Amino acid sequence: MKAMSVHGWTDAPMRRFVADARVRYAVLLHPSGLALSQYGFTSAIDVMSACSLVAAIRASAGALGTELCGAPFTELYYGGERQQIFMAEASTSRGPCVLLTVFDVESSLGVVRLFVSAFRQALTAAAPSIGDTPPTLGPDFESELQRGLAAVFDRGATPRVTAGGAR
Amino acid sequence: MTTAMLTEALASLTRHRGVFGALVADADHGLVVEATVQHGVSADAIAALAASLYRKAQLSSRAAGLGDVSLLRLEAGGGQLCAIGCGEVVLVVVAEARTNVGLLRAEMHRAAERLA
Repeated sequence: MKAMSVHGWTDAPMRRFVADARVRYAVLLHPSGLALSQYGFTSAIDVMSACSLVAAIRASAGALGTELCGAPFTELYYGGERQQIFMAEASTSRGPCVLLTVFDVESSLGVVRLFVSAFRQALTAAAPSIGDTPPTLGPDFESELQRGLAAVFDRGATPRVTAGGAR
Repeated sequence: MTTAMLTEALASLTRHRGVFGALVADADHGLVVEATVQHGVSADAIAALAASLYRKAQLSSRAAGLGDVSLLRLEAGGGQLCAIGCGEVVLVVVAEARTNVGLLRAEMHRAAERLA
């Protein structure tokens, strides 16, 4: 299964992260809930649900962190019986992004955290400077969302073609 | 297991000549529980990767019908890494290649017994 991205520059860092951290699922999204890149999901509905929930959780955790510590929390971990999730923020020249990843006994929290650090650096390095590509969140959010989902599932819809090589 | 016990166990290992660092990592999550490492050695990275290696070595050993791993030793050009399990944690030592493995191994077993 390959990583699928709306913005080409997110592709290589995502593929590298998934291979190194040995996670089952990963999705990179804009804090608004717009999917930028995904690995492991097989349905657009699942990605949309995950992104919506992550955006909500990030907002809640951010508010809680601000309330308790004066600054938003930037990482979150939930342990389950068989699977675990880890959420982390990354900042790029294109704005902030959120990574949600799901892993099982093939990986561990320590390994995932380690490679999230590397992912952040790779994403920052790969991000085109502002002006090279359209903004991560375009003005037409709804059609941007549809284009994004089509792109991350290779459904043949034409995502916005950019100088940066969006797929 | 108390912090004092962890500190003492790590101190007994880092006293050995050629040892760059020693740490105790959570076996399941690969997170650092306690660490004594030289400057420039990333305890977080070693804990995550060594615990992962140890877990997989344990699975391989059991799958091969060999039982539990008593000591995992990794040799590399710049030194060696040894890991030993003790309950829910893994004791990891990073040392120079020329470090006396026999002594180190005995001390690791003693430390693991104290922590178990």
